[in-house]
Amino acid sequence: MKSLKVIIDGLFRRNPTFVLILGLCPTLGTTSSAITGMSMGLATMMVLICSNFTVSALKGIIPDKVRIPAFILLIASFVTIVQMVMQAWLPALNASLGIFIPLIVVNCILLGRAEAFASKNNPWLSVCDGIGIGLGFTLALTLIGCVREILGTGAVFGQQLYSSDYGALLFVLAPGAFIVLGLLIALFNRLKEGR
Amino acid sequence: MLTYIAIIFSAILVNNIVFAQFLGICPFIGVSKNIDSACGMSMAVAFVMALATAVTWLLQHYVLVPLGLVYLQTIAFILVIAILVQMLEIVMKKSAPGLYVALGVYLPLITTNCAVLGTAIIAANKNFDFLYSIVYAVSTALGFGLAIVLFAAIRSQLELADVPRSMRGVPIALIVAGILAMAFMGFAGIKIG
Amino acid sequence: MKSSLRNMILSLTGLTVAIGAALAAVNEATADAIKETARRTRLEAMEAILPPFDNDIIATEVQSDGLPLYQATRGSEPVGIAIETYSDNGFSGRIAIITGFDNDGKLTGYRVLEHQETPGLGARMGEWFATAPHSVIGSSATLSVKNDGGDIDAITGATITSRAFLDAVNHARQAFQSYKK
Repeated sequence: MKSLKVIIDGLFRRNPTFVLILGLCPTLGTTSSAITGMSMGLATMMVLICSNFTVSALKGIIPDKVRIPAFILLIASFVTIVQMVMQAWLPALNASLGIFIPLIVVNCILLGRAEAFASKNNPWLSVCDGIGIGLGFTLALTLIGCVREILGTGAVFGQQLYSSDYGALLFVLAPGAFIVLGLLIALFNRLKEGR
Repeated sequence: MLTYIAIIFSAILVNNIVFAQFLGICPFIGVSKNIDSACGMSMAVAFVMALATAVTWLLQHYVLVPLGLVYLQTIAFILVIAILVQMLEIVMKKSAPGLYVALGVYLPLITTNCAVLGTAIIAANKNFDFLYSIVYAVSTALGFGLAIVLFAAIRSQLELADVPRSMRGVPIALIVAGILAMAFMGFAGIKIG
Repeated sequence: MKSSLRNMILSLTGLTVAIGAALAAVNEATADAIKETARRTRLEAMEAILPPFDNDIIATEVQSDGLPLYQATRGSEPVGIAIETYSDNGFSGRIAIITGFDNDGKLTGYRVLEHQETPGLGARMGEWFATAPHSVIGSSATLSVKNDGGDIDAITGATITSRAFLDAVNHARQAFQSYKK
C-alpha cells in the first residue's frame, strides 16, 4: 500500500518537472517532439530506478562523508550502461538525444532522490520512488513534447493532425520550449490552487 | 584568426548555451534573482569551465583514446570535474580569500552544472584541437554570463510587476527566457568565415 | 557507517573496482552489437540508394578524402559507389548522410544516418532533397542553395541545415572524384 502511495506521489504531488522544478535542461532540450521527450523520460527513469536501488542497498557500507562522490559514481556508471545499450540497439534515437544522454549524470533529480529518499529508505520503496518520479518525469516530458509538436508541426507522435503549413514553428524552436514549459507549470499551479 | 572570431561569436550569440543549447538552465533560473549573484555565478562557471575543458581534453586525447577506454568518458569527466571543483575551493580558500568570499558559495553548485560537463564532452567529441577547445569553453562561458546577467536585470524589474498568482516565480521567468531566446534567434544564420 | 579514513578509502576503492568491472563487461557485451547495428543500417541504406548489387559491399570500404567509400559491383561489373559523408555546420550539430553515385558520378540517392535538426524544419531534409522541384537526385555538379547563387531551393525556414546538407553532398562528390582518378 505504501509503495503505491510512493509511486503516485512521484507522479503528482512530487512531480519532478511541474512541482519540484528539477532537471530543466533535458526537459527543454529534448521535447521538440513527443517521441524524443518520452524516450528521454524513459532513459532517465531506467537510470533513476537502478541508482535508487543500489544507493539504498549500499547505504550501510558507504561512509557518510564520501556518500556524494559514491552516489555520483553509481549514477555515472548506470548512465554509461544506458548509453552503451542505446548505441547498440537504438542508434538513431541515441543520435537525436545526443549530449543529453551523458548529461543524465548531472540531472539534479537523480542525486536529489538518492540523497533525499534512497539513502533513507529500504531498496523496495526506493525502487517504487524511482518508478514514480521516473514516470512523473516521463509524463511531463511527453506532455510538453506533445504540446510543442502539435502546435509547431500539426502532428503528434508523427501522426499528422492538420497540415503542417498551419503550425506555429516557434513552438518547435528554442523559445517555444521555454514558453510551453512556463505555461504548463502555471497551469499546474492553478490546478493545485483550485483544489 | 577568422575561425577563432567565428567560434567566439557563435558560442556567445548564435549557439548561446542557455538559449539555443538548453544547458545550465538550473543556475540560470536559480541564481538570477539579482545581478550581483548572477555575475558571481557566471565568473565561477567561466573559471571552472575553462579549467575543466582543458583537463578533460588532455584526459580524452592522452588517456581514454589511446587506451580504448572512451566508453568511460562520462564517468571520468564527472569525476575530474568534481575533484577540480573541490581542489579549486581549497586552493582559493588558502591563497585568494577575497575571491573565495565572492565565488565560494557557487562552487559546490558547479559540480552538477550540466553546462560544464556538456561543454567538456562537446569539446572532446568534436575533435577540436587544444587551443580551439579552450577558446570554445571560454566563449561558451561568456555566453552563459551574458544570458544570466541579462536575465537577472530583467528579473529585478519583474519583481515590481503585477503577475497573476499562478504565474509568479518560475513560470513567468521561463516565459521571459522564451522571449529572450526569440531575440537571440535573430543571430542565427549569420555566417563568418 | 563510520567515516574513518580507512573505511572511506576501502569503500570508494571497492565501489570503483566493482563499477569498472561491470562497465567493462557491458562494453564487451554491447561492442559487437554496436558494430552490427552500424553495419546493418549502412547496408540497408546502400541497398536503397544504389542500383542492384551483389557483392559484400561493406568489405570494400576504403578511405577517400577522409570519407569511407564503398564500391558496389554486380557480377564483377562496377555499378555504383556509396560514400558516407557529414557536415558539422548543421543547425544543431553533426549531420551524417550516406550518398550513392552511379559510375558516371550521378547522385542516385541519399539516406540521413544521424542528425539533431529541428523537427518540422531541418529534420525534413530526409524527404525534401529527394522530391521535385528541389530534388538533388540525378545531379552531377557541385550544389548550393539559391541564397548562395545555386539552384537548389533551401528547406523553408532551414537554410542553415540545407547549406550543411549540400556541403556534405559536395564533400562526398569530391571524394568520388578523387577515387575515380
